[in-house]
Amino acid sequence: MVAGLLLVGMAGTDAAERKRPREDVEYIKNAALKVDTLIANFYRNKKLPVPDVTDDATFMRRAFLVTIGRIPTAEEALAFIEIHDVNKRAELVNHLVNSGGYASHMSNWAFDLLRLRDRQQDNQGGVGPYREWIRQSMEQNMPWNELTNQLLGASGNGWDRKTAAVGYYTTDRGMPLDNLSNSMRVFLGTRMECAQCHDDPFGETERKDFYHLAAFTHGQGEVNQGIMGNLWEELRDETKTRGLEYQVGQLFWDRIYGMSLGGGGMGQMKLPYDYQYRDAQPGEIVGGKTPFGKPVRTSDRRVDGEGREKFSKWVTEKTTPQFESVIANRMWKRVMGRGIYEPVDDYIEASKTVYPELTTYLADLMRELDYDLRAFQKVILLTKTFQFATNPKPSTLDAGDDFHGRKIDRLSAEQIWDSLITLSTGDPDRLPKAAVDMRIYVGNKPVMIGKKDMAQLSREVLELKTEAQLRRYFKDFVEQVRKDGTGGEESAAMMEMVHAYDADSAVRASELPSPAPREHFLYLFGASDREVVEASSKEPNVGQMLSLMNGFVQRQLVNRADAHLYKSLQGVTSEKEKIRRLYLAILSRPPTEKEMDWMLEEVATSGAKAYRNIVAALVMSSEFVFLK
Amino acid sequence: MNIGNYNKADELTRRQFMLNAARTYLGVHLFPMLGSSVASAAPSGVGTGSKAKHVIYLFMHGGMSHLDTFDPKPKKKAVMGPTKTIVGKAGVEISGFLPKTAEVTDKMCIINSLSSTQGAHEQGTYVMHHSYAPLGTIRHPAFGSWVLKLGGRLHPDLPGFVAINTSAAVTSGGFFGAKYSAAPIGSPDDGLLDSKCPDGVSSDDFSRRLSLADKLNQQFHEKYPNADVKAYEDLYREAISLMNSSDLSAFDLSKESEATRQLYGSGKFAQGCLLARRLVEHDVRFVEVQLGGWDTHYDNFTGVEGRCQEFDQAYAALLTDLEAKGKLKDTLVVVATEFGRTPEIQADHKDGRDHHPSAFSCVLAGGGIKGGVKYGQTDSSGNKVKKDVVTVQDFNATIAHGLGLPHDLVLMSPTRRPFKIADQGKPITSIFG
Repeated sequence: MVAGLLLVGMAGTDAAERKRPREDVEYIKNAALKVDTLIANFYRNKKLPVPDVTDDATFMRRAFLVTIGRIPTAEEALAFIEIHDVNKRAELVNHLVNSGGYASHMSNWAFDLLRLRDRQQDNQGGVGPYREWIRQSMEQNMPWNELTNQLLGASGNGWDRKTAAVGYYTTDRGMPLDNLSNSMRVFLGTRMECAQCHDDPFGETERKDFYHLAAFTHGQGEVNQGIMGNLWEELRDETKTRGLEYQVGQLFWDRIYGMSLGGGGMGQMKLPYDYQYRDAQPGEIVGGKTPFGKPVRTSDRRVDGEGREKFSKWVTEKTTPQFESVIANRMWKRVMGRGIYEPVDDYIEASKTVYPELTTYLADLMRELDYDLRAFQKVILLTKTFQFATNPKPSTLDAGDDFHGRKIDRLSAEQIWDSLITLSTGDPDRLPKAAVDMRIYVGNKPVMIGKKDMAQLSREVLELKTEAQLRRYFKDFVEQVRKDGTGGEESAAMMEMVHAYDADSAVRASELPSPAPREHFLYLFGASDREVVEASSKEPNVGQMLSLMNGFVQRQLVNRADAHLYKSLQGVTSEKEKIRRLYLAILSRPPTEKEMDWMLEEVATSGAKAYRNIVAALVMSSEFVFLK
Repeated sequence: MNIGNYNKADELTRRQFMLNAARTYLGVHLFPMLGSSVASAAPSGVGTGSKAKHVIYLFMHGGMSHLDTFDPKPKKKAVMGPTKTIVGKAGVEISGFLPKTAEVTDKMCIINSLSSTQGAHEQGTYVMHHSYAPLGTIRHPAFGSWVLKLGGRLHPDLPGFVAINTSAAVTSGGFFGAKYSAAPIGSPDDGLLDSKCPDGVSSDDFSRRLSLADKLNQQFHEKYPNADVKAYEDLYREAISLMNSSDLSAFDLSKESEATRQLYGSGKFAQGCLLARRLVEHDVRFVEVQLGGWDTHYDNFTGVEGRCQEFDQAYAALLTDLEAKGKLKDTLVVVATEFGRTPEIQADHKDGRDHHPSAFSCVLAGGGIKGGVKYGQTDSSGNKVKKDVVTVQDFNATIAHGLGLPHDLVLMSPTRRPFKIADQGKPITSIFG
């Protein structure tokens, strides 16, 4: 938190004198030029021919999919292709990174990375406020170092917008060591899972190092939950009469206390009972000690209380250049299709990468841009390198990009879904976003509507200091609820307050339940189950083919006369023009002459229903699901 | 990835192997190139005593507590917490959470001495499914894909490998390519979605669409010759022959009687087991069904009890039903998980148990397995393996052995690295009858 405020403060004073690089159009343009110069040198040194720059249509589709995760609408495609302006590619990039779709597409990325699951197996609480916190961080373009600090250094009330990042820890409650392994992997590209149980035989990490690190974040209990312990036991014991009091108890215990994160990280912990090496005994208390970077320590003699913040500061400020290199490489992969080094969650020093100068430059750039992910992606999107023609051959390197042009790659499940939604409903970003339901639920019914919401209730409960206070508050609250009755029929006005989408909604993937249900199109196409970091898959299977031929596409697109893509045909009488518009809507390019002949032949044979057949065939085509 | 050449090379290894072992149960029409003149280079141990043709692989995702299921320690109260023990058929002792399973223990071989080196979910699940630890630089084929690669599929139209309610990450064809990946089923009740020509689309229109798409795809592929694009196009052909198959009803649970459906119980896992039985009857080779929610760090005993309720009836019904249909003898039913859970109970996590890869339990039944048996032993608190340790690779080699597949046959990846179905694993042959 403190770091975030400081950063904003610094940016403010600085702006008066000169622009920060991330806001400076010239700086960003020059940075793109610098990347291109480095890539050009790479080709020169390897005596390779520089790839051609791709055509407008391919560029447009690529830029849309990479930046906002969907294909352009027919209208957008037509506008871009017909404008004659030498700067139109740069302007498109500028438009896309600032459009609403950017945050949606970034949210999918963040949800995959942070394993966001709406429903927790062992946790009766919710993740609504945490999910909203991630989405808004993407929308507001929170700098990556600040976001990291807020997540890793979190503590407090899960219902408070300012501290909802505690969801990062509370959703992993009971498995703090896995949480730590994931943090190291996500933010620093360091794999420590092995060291949870034994010394890593291939790496340098010993089991003890892992526990020294875990000491920082140790102690992830709830805020003050202890004062409710006796009351909760009593309520739970009355197994037969689980009435209103039990339900309110559940609300307090699971959804208020259960979603809070107390303390600040103990900075010390016991070695596990099965610790097997000679350098320490099982059960021995160890203090915090960082395994690399500038060292940070906490004492094994006393509870530190700020361990999580110390850990987060170490990650973001004391591991240079690792922290910035990892996120720079992730962003490079996001835009270019492949990381400079792969896998992106296995950091290697710049000198060991295929192109050390570029790796170093990008990490420096990330820092210079104040970890502004939007600005950083904009730099890459503005390069000539991003515009290179498609190269169908996979990278010649196992461990990263070979920079030989754009690699062909299947779209992610979310990109396919969002593109189909675009075809069926038009620009999906004009729809309202799902909102967090802040109403108080007792049992399954909302109560005290308009009087109190979860933000206020949770604040009041978490401020209680003693068991007596808690019991009094609890009793009063039960009384109030009893007097008010439980919600009753929900009025239309009430429903309007809460925008929610279910799995069947034709909205952006980022607005749908996370993870997608197993029956959902997204799951079929390989969306992550969000149980592990970045678990999505782009592998085809027979079910996907069936879905494209007979399922969702057929119902939502081919057979629906009111689907958006048919709108662009209204008033058009020429067969050729109709075909051209369908091509623009679906493949973002006009048909070739040969293709036009095929399609005209289809129209001659099938008459009016030919257009449906053409739509079906275009969506089934490989060109639709692969990014060129 | 040069999958094309690879497949050609592989065709030879497969031919060599099949001549020795698998010819008896492969549809001859699938491999017209198989002639009696092909030279043999028999990998060791192939085809001796193998009985299984199919695998139903039930994966308990999250790490199933061995102590509270198949390796209880009734004498150690501190280890067991509230979990009770019951004695099942053939005198096999299991957890009290599994009363129906206790009635089929005479068909089961419980392996109590599994041991893995992977203690995190992703790695643990990965090694169980691939026999190798995950590497950044290669996508290993899933075990089911290996079975298809080495044994071929049995039905010409239906997919050889089906994954029910399972994550795509562990059912991928890896470097064998997409045609060895599982066909995914999200919900058993819905079966294979969209497998029929949509209403209102005439077969004439449908084939016009396909032929247009085919032209477009050929053009695209010519312009961008790429293995992934090719795999995509091949799958279209697969999808179409599947749609035309007269055995498509294999995926349709509504063809089962209400009594049979109730025998298995409600819920995705239970109905998934029933679907697996149907699929196996229709000559699908490998079916995986997952049951998640075993990650009981928090409130272990409530969690395990709930999971066991999902598992118990369905599993017992599956074995009983398969046997009644005469399919248990050639179907190997596997219960697997990524690791066990600690004997130590974490009071501050509401009596939770943490991950415990060094000792855990899996179960085999059917397909020639001797029933009523426990193999291997852990120490008195279920902490370490005391006798007959079985590595993950040994376990997978055992399944391969049960299928008569050559666990020591080396196949090269497109990057020219050698891989085997079970890495260095050695099969436990003594548990087969």
